Order: sequence, then C-alpha cells, then structure tokens
Amino acid sequence: MSTKTIGSPTSRPVPELLPEQKKRITPKRPRDYVSWAVAVAIVGGLVTTTVTNENYQWPVVFSYFTAQSILDGLVLTLVLTVASMVLGTLLGLVLAVMRMSHQAPISGLARLYITFFRGTPVLVQLIFWFNIAALYPNVSLGIPFTDISTPVDVNALMTPLTAAIVGLTLNQAAYMAEIIRGGFASVNRGQYEAADSLGMSGFTRLRHVIIPQTMPAIIPATGNQVIGMLKETSLVSVLGVAELLNSAQSIYARTYQTIPLLIVASLWYLIMTMALSVPQSMIERRFSRSTRRPAPVAVATKESLL
Amino acid sequence: MKADGTIVARQLHKSFGSHEVLRGIDLSVAAGEISCIIGPSGSGKSTLLRCVNGLETVDRGVLRVNGEDFGYVETDNAYHAVRPQRLAEQRSHIGMVFQQFNLFPNMTAEDNVISGPVLVKKVNRKVAREQAQKLLAQVGLAGCGHKYPAQLSGGQQQRVAIARALAMEPSIMLFDEPTSALDPELVGEVLAVMRDLAHHGMTMLVVTHEMGFARDVADEILFMDGGVAIERGDAREVLANPREKRTQEFLERVL
Repeated sequence: MSTKTIGSPTSRPVPELLPEQKKRITPKRPRDYVSWAVAVAIVGGLVTTTVTNENYQWPVVFSYFTAQSILDGLVLTLVLTVASMVLGTLLGLVLAVMRMSHQAPISGLARLYITFFRGTPVLVQLIFWFNIAALYPNVSLGIPFTDISTPVDVNALMTPLTAAIVGLTLNQAAYMAEIIRGGFASVNRGQYEAADSLGMSGFTRLRHVIIPQTMPAIIPATGNQVIGMLKETSLVSVLGVAELLNSAQSIYARTYQTIPLLIVASLWYLIMTMALSVPQSMIERRFSRSTRRPAPVAVATKESLL
Repeated sequence: MKADGTIVARQLHKSFGSHEVLRGIDLSVAAGEISCIIGPSGSGKSTLLRCVNGLETVDRGVLRVNGEDFGYVETDNAYHAVRPQRLAEQRSHIGMVFQQFNLFPNMTAEDNVISGPVLVKKVNRKVAREQAQKLLAQVGLAGCGHKYPAQLSGGQQQRVAIARALAMEPSIMLFDEPTSALDPELVGEVLAVMRDLAHHGMTMLVVTHEMGFARDVADEILFMDGGVAIERGDAREVLANPREKRTQEFLERVL
C-alpha cells in the first residue's frame, strides 16, 4: 500500500504530450442525460399503457386486422389514391401550363381555379360534388349546333365513388399545378437560351433539357402529395364510400369496438405510408443526382441521360 | 452563300421598354476574323451579341449573318419574322458561349457535347460520341466526358461549353464575357482554348474585358458606350492609340 502511493507517481511514465497533440474533450452535460431520460420515460409509459390497458382490446385488433371487409376497404383506398393522383397530376399539368401562359385570360383562369380549390376545405368540396345534382339536376351532353345530345341524370351519375374521385382529383389538381409550376420556375433562364443557341426545337428543349431539370423539384413534392392523398381518402368515408376507414366504421357500428377498429385502420395507413416513403426516397435520390456531387464510379456506370 | 461565316449589321436599333440599348450600331465581321467588343457595363455590348443569334430580337436595322438576313425575311416594305424551325436552323450554324456556361446539369460533359448533334442534327449517337471525345480532347478535357457539370471547375465547365458549341460545327462563334464568371487562375485555360480556335480560322465575335486577349488575338475592336459604337478599328491600333476621348478614358481605367 505504501509502496504504491510512494512509487506510482514516480515509476509510471507520464506521457509527454505536446500541447498541439492533446485531444480536446467536451464534457457531457447533465441535459444530455436528462433528454434521454425524458424520452425513455415517455416511450416506456406509452408502451406500458398500451400493453396493460385492457380497453385497447388487442385480440380484437388482431382478429379484424385481415378481415375481408377491411382488406376490401384497403384496396379501395389504394384505388382512390392512384386514380385521384393520376388524374389530378394530368389536370394539374394542364393548369400549370395554362398558369404559365403569357396570355392573361388563360393564366387568369388557371389562377382562379387554383385559388378556389386551394381556398376551400376538401371535405366541403367532397360533400358539394356529392350533392351537385341539387344545383344541376339534368345535364345534356351533346355536340353544339347539332341535334346530337344525350340527357344525363346527374343524380344517378354522381355516385359516392364518382363524387369521391371527382372531389379528390379537382382538389389535387390545384396543388399539383403549383408544384409543377414551381418545378419549371426552378430552371434557370440560361438553360432555355443554351438550348435555343444549339438550334433545338421547342419540344426537344422541353423534353431533354427543361423537364429533366424540373424533376428534382417536382418529384419529392409529388411524393409528399401521394402520401397526403392516401390519408386524405379517409375523408370520403363521409360519403359512404367503403374505403378503409369506412369499412372499419361499418364494423364498429355493429360491434361497438370503436377503438380497436380505429387502431386497425391506423395501422394499415401507417404501413402504407411507410411503404410509400421507401420508393419516394429512392426516386428522390435518383433525380437529385445532378445537383449533388455523385461518386464518379456510380456515374460512370449509369446509362446516358439523353 | 450559306454559312459563310460573316456578320454584317447596319444601323441596329433595340429598346427594352423606353430604354434604348442599341442606337444605330454598325458591325462587320469577315469570315475567319476575330472581333472583340469592349466597353463599360450597360453599354449594350452583350445585347448586340445576343441579337446576332436571336436571343434578342432587333427592332430596326439590317442584320445579315452567314450571308442571309437573320431571323427575318425582307420584303418590299418590311422584314417578316421567320418560322421557329427556320430560326432554329439559322441558329444551328452559330455557336454561343455564355458568361454563366449554361451547361445542362442533368447531362454529363459528353452528353452536353453530343446534345446538339444528336438532338438537332440527328447525327448517329456513336459517331457523335467519337466527335465529342475529340472535341473534349481539343479543349484539354480528355477523359472528363463522364463527369457532370457540378463535378467540374468553372474553367472546365466553360471549356465543355465551348466544345458543345463546336460540336454543331458552326461557322461563327459568339462569346459573351466567357471568362467574367471565372476565378482569376482559371481564366487562362479558357483563353488558351479560344486562342487555339482563333488560329484555326473560326469567325469569332467576343464580348470581353480581357484586353490582353483582345490585343493578342483580335483583328478588330469595337468600343461601345451608351448603345453607340464609339470607335471601331484595328485591334492593336485602337488599344495603343485610341482616337476618341471616351475610348481613352475607358482604357485608362481598365488597363
């Protein structure tokens, strides 16, 4: 004991570090541990209550998770999402082109549309389209200045499903128009001039120079829209369309197991949005290639963009 | 008469709104001649250059490029704008190099160079690639074809831009302050490529602040101020013994 206390300071070689070789150490502060403790406490509490609270009725959740009507609702949710996204993007493209037009009446029309459909709630729009027959009970489809025309019964045409797709599409188009316009606005004026100076036609310029450059701005935003749309489709449950939420509601209306069935629906929404975020980040990486500095090897093996 | 590499302008006028940028400019560049346009900023020199390949339209005056009226067809009492296809065809004989390079960032250097031949002239892609590799070697960038513009320095980007313009086999090359956006140490490599091009007999119209380049390479200098051609003449003569007072003042400030 005594040898140690006497011997150690002198016998152990003290490392002679020059000041410029010494490590710089930042001590951990109390708040670093506190933040961890708080997070663990919150998550732990939530897990404990979900497991121990009988009212969650997890067995019910599992028994309905893959029930036929739930799966049917799931499919309809996906169909609604895809249909309104595709149609909404196409209409949005038309609106974006109109909005960018140098002719004031054309861009004005697009602006009016966008203002209206972004300025009113989707839920209101959906109910509105469902009840459009109150406004226009009979519409006649025909060719102007001829006798050829077919009367259309709007009430019969505007089924809950049609109203859902029309409402979601028209709303989505307004948002997509702004996203697409933003994409075009992000392309430098010099790119048009460079393409012109090479003698490119308007179409070639658009197809090979401009559109590829709009993608880094458009793709990620569109991905967000898809995920948003997937969740937005739950609104059409108020029209009685048997999508995912409505299917869950139909079951708990009979069984009064409200919470477990809402959990079933939520879990499916969560699974789908998480599944969608994977391809989205992949596409995002693919299109942002030119703006980042990609690894030379990866670039060399990629096929030509032309 | 086609694509003979000449530029003739008489009494060119151009206004942006109420601001008259070009006020009766005369210009004449013979085939194989190197002409530099100098002058203070806002003097209209870039606008003049951009008129020559139709990035700006001319309000009034005569503009003949490659031996034919550019962008318009002359009739008894007016000039009528040509169709876009015809304008594109005329442009394809004129190469343009921009201050900000304007390479297509979504394409590799080589794809940039072949974009004109493949997309406009419908040249076979394989043939175009071989030509592109030669051109990239000519501007000192052999082996850089697979790189994207973002991976290249400013000087390298500008040399790719020159190769891209050359790939269309133009009879005239226009340069709009090609070194103004470059770091000082990168200016030399771009000027070297331009010198090389000049020695190969290309007709060149160059807006520049590089007086050294103008003195060494240019045949003719046009000094512009306030939308007017103040002085025009043999390059070395104008730089050494400017006749006009405004030219003297400008050269004193920049040299």
